[in-house]
Amino acid sequence: MAQTRPQPAAFLVAPDLLAPGRVLQRRAATLSVLAALLWPLQAAVVAWALGALLTGAEASPLLAALVFAGLGLLRAGLGLLAEASAQAAAEVVIADARARIVAAEARRAAEGRFGGAGAIAALAGEKLELLAPYLTRYAPASARVRVVPLVILALAFWHSWAVGVVLLVSGPLIPLFMALIGMAAKEASARQMAEIGTLNDFLVERLSALVDIRLLGAGGAVQAGFAAQAGDLRARTMAVLRVAFLSSTVLELFAAIGVAMVAVYVGFSLLGALGFGAWGGAVSPQAGIFLLLLAPEFYQPLRDLSAAWHDKAAATAVIEEIETWGADPGPQLRGSGGAAARLAGPASIALLGCQTPAGVALPDIRIAPGERVALVGASGAGKTSALRLMAGLELPAAGQVVVAGQGLTGDNADGWRARLGWMPQAPHFLSGSLRQNLTLGRVGDLQAALATAAVGEVVAAMPQGLATRLGETGGGLSGGEARRITLARAVYGAPDLILADEPTADLDAATARIVTEGLLAQAARGATLIVATHDRQLAARMDRVIELGGAP
Amino acid sequence: MTALWTVFAMILRDQRSALLRGAALSLVVLVMGVALLGLSGWFITAAAAAGLAGMGAVFDVFRPSAMVRFLALGRAAARYGERVLTHDATLRALESLRLRVLAAHLAAPHAAMIRIRGAQALNRLTADIDALDGVPLRLVLPLIAGALAQVLALAALWLLVAPGVALWVVGGYVLGAAVIFGRIAAVSVPLSRRAETAAQAFRSRLIDLIRARRDLAVYGRLQAQAGVAMEAEARRFVLRRRLDRAERWTGAALAALATVVAAGALGLGMTLVQAGRIEPGFAALGFFAALALAETLMPLRRAAADLGRMADAARRVARDLAPQAVPPAGEVPQGTALCITDVTLHRPGTTAPILSGLSLTVAAGETLAITGASGSGKSTLLLAVAGLHPVAAGQITLGGLAVRDWPEAPLRGVLTLLPQRSALMAGTVAETLRIAAEADDARLWQVLAAVQMDGVIRAKGGLSARIGPRGEGVSGGEARRLALARALLRRPKLLLLDEPTEGLDDATAALVLRGIRAELPEVAIVIAAHRQVETAAADRVLALR
Repeated sequence: MAQTRPQPAAFLVAPDLLAPGRVLQRRAATLSVLAALLWPLQAAVVAWALGALLTGAEASPLLAALVFAGLGLLRAGLGLLAEASAQAAAEVVIADARARIVAAEARRAAEGRFGGAGAIAALAGEKLELLAPYLTRYAPASARVRVVPLVILALAFWHSWAVGVVLLVSGPLIPLFMALIGMAAKEASARQMAEIGTLNDFLVERLSALVDIRLLGAGGAVQAGFAAQAGDLRARTMAVLRVAFLSSTVLELFAAIGVAMVAVYVGFSLLGALGFGAWGGAVSPQAGIFLLLLAPEFYQPLRDLSAAWHDKAAATAVIEEIETWGADPGPQLRGSGGAAARLAGPASIALLGCQTPAGVALPDIRIAPGERVALVGASGAGKTSALRLMAGLELPAAGQVVVAGQGLTGDNADGWRARLGWMPQAPHFLSGSLRQNLTLGRVGDLQAALATAAVGEVVAAMPQGLATRLGETGGGLSGGEARRITLARAVYGAPDLILADEPTADLDAATARIVTEGLLAQAARGATLIVATHDRQLAARMDRVIELGGAP
Repeated sequence: MTALWTVFAMILRDQRSALLRGAALSLVVLVMGVALLGLSGWFITAAAAAGLAGMGAVFDVFRPSAMVRFLALGRAAARYGERVLTHDATLRALESLRLRVLAAHLAAPHAAMIRIRGAQALNRLTADIDALDGVPLRLVLPLIAGALAQVLALAALWLLVAPGVALWVVGGYVLGAAVIFGRIAAVSVPLSRRAETAAQAFRSRLIDLIRARRDLAVYGRLQAQAGVAMEAEARRFVLRRRLDRAERWTGAALAALATVVAAGALGLGMTLVQAGRIEPGFAALGFFAALALAETLMPLRRAAADLGRMADAARRVARDLAPQAVPPAGEVPQGTALCITDVTLHRPGTTAPILSGLSLTVAAGETLAITGASGSGKSTLLLAVAGLHPVAAGQITLGGLAVRDWPEAPLRGVLTLLPQRSALMAGTVAETLRIAAEADDARLWQVLAAVQMDGVIRAKGGLSARIGPRGEGVSGGEARRLALARALLRRPKLLLLDEPTEGLDDATAALVLRGIRAELPEVAIVIAAHRQVETAAADRVLALR
C-alpha cells in the first residue's frame, strides 16, 4: 500500500477569516457614516440659536432644544443599529473561526509545531476575541474617515475658504503620522502576542508540576523565572501601548492646533480684525459658531481610527497567527475519531516492514485472532509506537499496517478502533466524573470492568464514588489506581482486541497478578491481547514474546 | 462585589502613588477638556457680540486665546501621561497579583495541588487576572475622576453661568448615569458570569481534546469531545449576544442622555439670555461645557459591560489568595534521623484510615523498603514524611522535630521525595536537571551515570538535547531516571523514593538502585517498593498491613 500522507487540510483556514461577517460589516459602516453626518445638522441648529441671541432675532428656546435633542436621538438610534450590525459581524466571525480550530484539532494525529494545548486554547479562546474590537471599532471608524472629513471640508469651504484651507492642510498630515506610528505598533504587537502564548504554556507546565517544584525546593526559582517572563511581557505590552498612546497624542495635538487656528481665525474675523477668508468679507456669527462646532468633528473620525489602531494591529497579529497554525496541518488522524460500527473481519493485526514515525525499524509482526502477545525490548525500542501504529493513531514512516485482513485506511480506521480496548502509558483524565471517564459514552458492564481491574474498593473509598471529579493526571488516585482505572476503561466495552502499554507498571506483585488475570480473562473470552511490557512475569503468561531490538 | 473591592485594595496597596497620580491626571484631562470647549464657545460668542457692538478693538483676545492653546496642548500631554502611568501601574500590579496566585498554589496542600487541573488553573491565572486590569483602569479611576469632574463643573457653571443651568447639567448627568449604570450592572453581572463559565468550559474541553486526543480517538470520542467543546461555545455565543445587546443599548442610552442634557442647557441658556439675565457668551459656555461633560460618561459603558467578568474573576482570585497557614519558624535541629511513632494516616480527603499504629526508624546509610498491596498506604506514608500529608495520630519526627514544625526551605534541603508521578518540564536536559540545584556539567553527567542515563543522553545529543512539553521525546523509563537524577542533585540526608524503578527492566533497575546508593552512601533511603528488584536492594523490608 502506498503511504500517502493526507493532503494538507484545506479546511484549516478559510481563505478569508473575516468573510462570514462581510455583509454585516458593510451595513455597520453605512449606518455609522449616516449617524456621524447628523452632527452638522445639530451644529446648524446651535449656530442658528446662538446667532439669534447675538443678533436679537426671534428664536424659540423650546424649539431649538427639541430639534437639537430630536436629531441627537436619531443619531443615537442610528449608532445603535450600526453597532448591532458590527457586533453581529464580530460574533459570526469569531464563532466561525473557533469552530474551524476545534474541527481541525479533532483531525490531527499529534500536536503540530504551532504549540501545545495551552497555546492553541489561548488562540481559540482569548486571542480570537481580539477580532471583536477590530470589527466593532476599527472597521466603522475607517468607513467614517473616508466620508465625514470630506463632507465637513466641503461645508467649511462653503462658508469660508480660510477655514477650509486650515482643515485641508492639517488633515492629510494626520494619516501620514498615523501610518508611521501604526507600522511600529504592528511590529510591537506581534511580539507581544507571541509572548502571551509562551507565557501560557510556561505557566500550564509549571502548574502541572506543582508537586515536583515544591519537593525539589524550586518554588523560589520557578517564581523568579515566571516573574522574569511576566516582567518581559509587561515591558512588551507597554511598548505596544506607548506607541498607541503616542499616535493618539500626536493626533490630539494636530486636532487641537487645527481647532485653535479655526477658533482664532473665526474670533478675529468676528471682531472685525480680519476682512478676508469668507466669500462675503467677514464670517457671520452663525457661520463662525457653525464652523467652530464642525472643526473638532473633522478630526474625530481620524482620532477614532487612531484609538482603534492597536485593535487593528492586534487583529492582524491574530490573523497571522491563525495562518501559522493552519499552515502546519501535521499528520492527520486516520478516520475521524468518531463512533463507528465495528469493522468486520478477524481480530488480527500485522505490521509489515513498518518504521515508526521517529524512524525506528520494526520487525514484521503478525498477530492472529485470540492470540496473546507481549512486545518487549529496551526503553525506546518502539513498543509504544508499535501499539499506536496498530490503533491507526500514528502513520508508519514506511511499511504497511494490516488489520482484520485489510490495509488500515482512513475509511476503516474508526470501525477498527471500535473493536479496541486501549491502555496508554500515561493517562490524561478528562475534566468530568470518574464514571464519565470510565464509560466514555459507550455501553457496557461497569461492575464487571471495575472487578476485572480490581478497583471496586478504590472507587468505593473515593469521596463521591463514581461521581468524584478527576484531576488531570488522575488527581486523588495513586499511580497504580489510575493505571487500573485505565484498564477498567479498556475492558469496559468488551473489546475484541486489547492494546496495553505497560499494564502492570506501578502495581505491587499482588495487584499486578490481579491485572494480569483480568487481561487473561479477556483473552479467555476470545479477545486478542497485545501488551508492551517490561514485566517478565506478564510476558511469560503470553503465548508469544516479540522482541523489539535495537537501541534508539 | 466585595471581592472586587478586595482586589482593588490590593492593587492600590501595591501601586498607590502611581495610581493616585494617574487618577489626578485623569481628572486634569477631563477638567481641561470641559474648560477648553466651554472657553472656546464663550470666546467665539463673546467675540461675535463685541464685533456686532463695534467693540472689537477693545475686546481682550490674547488671554482667552492663550488659554485655549494652553488647554489644548496641556490636555493632550496630560492624557498621554495619564494613559502611560495608569496602564503601567496596573500591569505591574497584575504581575504581582499573578505571582502571588502562583505562590499560593505552590503553598497549597498536596491534595489540592494534584487536583489542580492545568487547564483550569491556567484559566484562573491568565484570564482572570487579565480581566482584573479593568478594575482600576475602566472601573474605579474613571468613576472617581468623572464624579469629581462633575462636582467641579457644578461649581463652575453655578458661578459663571447660572445655578439652574448648573443643576440641570450636572444633576441630569449624575442621575441619568446612575440609573443607566445600575441597570446595565444588574443585567450584565449575571450574564457575563455565565458567559465566562461557558468560555472556560470551552477552553478546558479543547485542552482535554488536544491532550487526550489519542485516547479519545481509540474510543471513538474525538468527534464527541469536539461536540461538547462546541456546545460550550454555543452557550457562550448566545450569552455574548445578549451581553452585546445590553452593552449597545447602554451606549445608546448614554448618547441620548448627553443629547438631552446639552439640548436642555441650550434651551435654558437661551431663555436666560432672552430674559436679560446672562450674556450670550455664557449661554454658549453652558452649552459647550454640557457637550464636553459627555466624556465623563463614556468609560461607564465599558465598565458596565465588563463588570460581571471582573466581579467573577475577582471572586476566584481573592479566594485563591486567602491567607495561607503561616509557615513555622524556629530552630532547625542538627540531626535528620527519621523516627515514626504510632502513626495513623487517613486517605486523602476522607477520614477513612489507610494506615494505623505504624512505628519505625531509619538510620543514616540504611535502605528501608516498604512493601504492601496497592492502596496500603505506602505512597501516603512517604507524602506524610515529606510534610505533604497530615498525620492523623502519632508523630513523624526528623532530628527530633515533628515534620510539620519544620520550616519549608530547610525541610526540602534535608529530605527529597521522588513522587510516584513526576513531571519533567520543557527545556534542555541540563535545564530540566538544574531546576533541582545549581550544578556544573560534570556533576550532571555524574548523576546521569548513576541512573544509567549517560549513554542515552549522549545518544540524544548531550546535555543540550531538548525535552518537549510534558516530557515529550523521552520514554517513560527515561523520564523516570531523569527524575531520579534530579532528586540525586539535591544531595538530601533522607531520600524517599516512591516506586523508583517504574518502567525499567530488571537489569537496569538493579544498576540504577546500586548507582543511587553509590552516589549517596551516607543517606537514609526509604523506598515504597513494588518490585522484587527494589526489595532486593534494601537492607531491611517492612511489609504494611
